[in-house]
Amino acid sequence: MKRMMIVATTLLLGAGAVMAQQEVAVQQDNLMRSQAKSLYTVIQKMTKGDIPYNRKAVDEALANLEADVAKIAKTFEINPKQDVVNGSYGASPKVWQNKADFDSKIPPVQKAIADVKGKITDVASLKAAYTAVNDRCNDCHETYRLKLK
Amino acid sequence: MLRRTLLATLLVAVAALGVFWWLTAPAALAIALPSRAPDLANGQEIFNVGGCSSCHAVPSQPDRLRLGGGLPLGSPFGTFYAPNISPDPTDGIGRWGESDFVSAVMRGISPEGAHYFPAFPYASYHIAKVDDVRDLFAYLKTLPAVPGRVRNHDLPFPFNIRRNVGIWKLLFMDGGPFVPDATRSSQWNRGAYLVNGLGHCAECHSPRNLLGGIITAQRFAGGPNPEGEGWVPNITQKGLGEWSEKEIADFLETGEMPEGDTASGAMRPVIKNLAQLTAEDRAAMAAYLKSLPPVDGPTPPKRKQGGA
Repeated sequence: MKRMMIVATTLLLGAGAVMAQQEVAVQQDNLMRSQAKSLYTVIQKMTKGDIPYNRKAVDEALANLEADVAKIAKTFEINPKQDVVNGSYGASPKVWQNKADFDSKIPPVQKAIADVKGKITDVASLKAAYTAVNDRCNDCHETYRLKLK
Repeated sequence: MLRRTLLATLLVAVAALGVFWWLTAPAALAIALPSRAPDLANGQEIFNVGGCSSCHAVPSQPDRLRLGGGLPLGSPFGTFYAPNISPDPTDGIGRWGESDFVSAVMRGISPEGAHYFPAFPYASYHIAKVDDVRDLFAYLKTLPAVPGRVRNHDLPFPFNIRRNVGIWKLLFMDGGPFVPDATRSSQWNRGAYLVNGLGHCAECHSPRNLLGGIITAQRFAGGPNPEGEGWVPNITQKGLGEWSEKEIADFLETGEMPEGDTASGAMRPVIKNLAQLTAEDRAAMAAYLKSLPPVDGPTPPKRKQGGA
């Protein structure tokens, strides 16, 4: 009986750990999605004319992006060792093999955002700002973001 | 009796070795190259279509024209290290003749007469026009010489035997030139030439068999990343059906996808190259890609249990 209890507890704990890891992966995915929303669903769409230019919306998106970027290092501290179930993209294991290098890609993004913040006045300056910020995102995605399907 | 058997076995072995040697003999491209003035602008275009910089530029430095090599390329067969193709006379290709270069790019044969490993995508490059390759050579000569010999590839036996590549070429490399399709537009044919040849898109965007040959029926239908982690997407209309021709061309320039995302991973450096092309060449590639019939590729694993 005692042995069965131990086995059952271990199994439960194991399942709990797996779920917790999935939760970590989901949190990381959500953080990146939130940034994609600011940069792509708002800013990129405006640069393409899919939605009209709106200074307030731009400022808000940039502020959200800035806040999210500041959370990357901490949110990616733990390696969940799995991807979000059915996710199209995931984090490469290289993130945790070279965490210092991964983290070093963050300040350039922050600098790019700081450089353009409050200086965007029209679609042309928005386009330039978008490229400047997105290029720094790409510097990291080139190595650390994986397409999964 | 025993002696006889041994002798027979020995003879068969010698004969087999002879056949292997004959089958795997590297055959350089024997064509006359009449002298001509190179078109450097075309050479630069070919350089960017071919993506030379993505593998041969010195890693971890910003100048994509310093072609000193050294980038490790993982594969199921071991790790390849991209060689120095800068004009350095000792460590690069500074002393190569034009025919050396043409044989290397179009046949995968070194100036010393050895097979290159097909990590160098000559199985695609071979359909290139000789004049395009000559212009590329002239353009490479204008780039800075970078000293430093790159380390040897790190391949286990038997993959380290270059002679075996001769068999691989017989199995998986079709030697014919590019044949335009007369029923299609010149734009489509230019796209087909660029995508299948110098662009070597199929090299990553197709699944491969156990010997590393592209599975022809699933060409462009995506597959596991040959470097290990992740998945290379299906670029037939099965995968890109919702993208318009214009959206494909825009993606090749900016990496932006219609679904509101941008290219990542190994496609990033490819976009950096393609962004330098003429808009006409990107549009031609898009026209060809948009015409690829939908093909089901292999199924990506449901969920990666990533290692640390």
